[in-house]
Amino acid sequence: MMKPVYISAATALSPQNSFDVDTLLPDVISSDNGKLFVKDTDYSKFINPVAIRRMSRMLKIGISTGMKAVQVSGVEKLDGIITGTGRGSMRDMELFLGDMIRLKEEALNPTYFIQSTYNSVNGWLAMQTKCTGYNQTYVHRGHSLEMSVLDAKMLLHDATEPQTYLVGCLDEMTDDYFIVKNKIGYWKKELPNSLQVLQHSNTQGSIGGEGAAFFTITNTSANSICSIEQLKMLQQPTAASVQASIDNILAAHGMKLKDIDVVLCGMSGDARFQSLYTPILESTTAHTTVAAFKHLCGEYDTSTGFAMWLATKLFQEQSTPEVLIQKKGINPAINNILIVNHYTLNSASLMLMKKTISE
Amino acid sequence: MEDLKLTLKQQIIESLNLQGMTPADIDDNAPLFGDGLGLDSIDSLELMVLLERNYGIKIEDAREGRKVLESVASMAAYIEQNRKI
Repeated sequence: MMKPVYISAATALSPQNSFDVDTLLPDVISSDNGKLFVKDTDYSKFINPVAIRRMSRMLKIGISTGMKAVQVSGVEKLDGIITGTGRGSMRDMELFLGDMIRLKEEALNPTYFIQSTYNSVNGWLAMQTKCTGYNQTYVHRGHSLEMSVLDAKMLLHDATEPQTYLVGCLDEMTDDYFIVKNKIGYWKKELPNSLQVLQHSNTQGSIGGEGAAFFTITNTSANSICSIEQLKMLQQPTAASVQASIDNILAAHGMKLKDIDVVLCGMSGDARFQSLYTPILESTTAHTTVAAFKHLCGEYDTSTGFAMWLATKLFQEQSTPEVLIQKKGINPAINNILIVNHYTLNSASLMLMKKTISE
Repeated sequence: MEDLKLTLKQQIIESLNLQGMTPADIDDNAPLFGDGLGLDSIDSLELMVLLERNYGIKIEDAREGRKVLESVASMAAYIEQNRKI
């Protein structure tokens, strides 16, 4: 088994107030149109003013989230930058493809093309942080962030010196994307308020979302918030394979389910995937709090990033906001969190995180 | 010519997303790159696209392009002589 790695800083730009505030979910933002968009911030604080004018919203979101994570961590030199995105910069891609059709493939603007590539956020982050080290972008749909974390874990496992990687994810939703995915049943036909979506888990579809989350991940526990003990990815997950994976992870760490203080579940209100979480809701004892998060960020490829960010905040604040709770547990402290998430029936992931105990 | 320069400045501002700038902020003879407006190589590509789309002008020679894109005045003069639309 690989050694744990440690998160020393976590930032997220999400549909909630997650970026410019120190407290966790000071207010809750909801939507009635089936879409949860990122709450914008002042991007000019993090991006060169000459460069910012050419950037799409997604680039600004990704770069600002990554730069803030670096600032918060206080790290002076990154050893690498690893990012996951399921879809990249959708808006720039749509503009570029739209121009190709409209202008019959002539006189196309270069900017949309350059900035719509999946790795443009990584490139900008490398330039802004002057990081000439490892630079990788994973585009693996629902496992994009998980692959990035796994890559960082492997690199840090092999490292003999203290190292820090900036690891993150980003995905954006556009109106066109919403329309296309609606045709194949991604979203609910009758749209509830986003905060009510989990109460509609007897019907197909969820609500759309987007967001970015970045973490500085190191191989030293000093000044860290928590560790990532284990990460497991599942293809074509079933309730049985999710349950078996939970059992294996707990056994590998000498833990029982009651030792998990919070299970952060990626249930999305979609009847097709609810069964993945039924065993968790049924098997957890009175000790464990079962919490959900997709009614706050919506469904998107890299929503695990929002869950990881939430986990770091739960460790720091040592309490779970009521808006997250599906089943309240009695464990008094939050020292162990298990994230269980899915993206469509193709992919699911589980991540065991532990609060760093100060020495 | 003055009308063309004004239109060109508006097109440059829009095409390059020069937020907060107005045509009055761009001097006819100031360099577009370097110390003047501070544009870069990607902007030069955008300006080439602007010339092709709006005036039907294709500049194949990089050296000629550099001269044309020196300032708004040089662009306007070239457009006036070579425009196809």
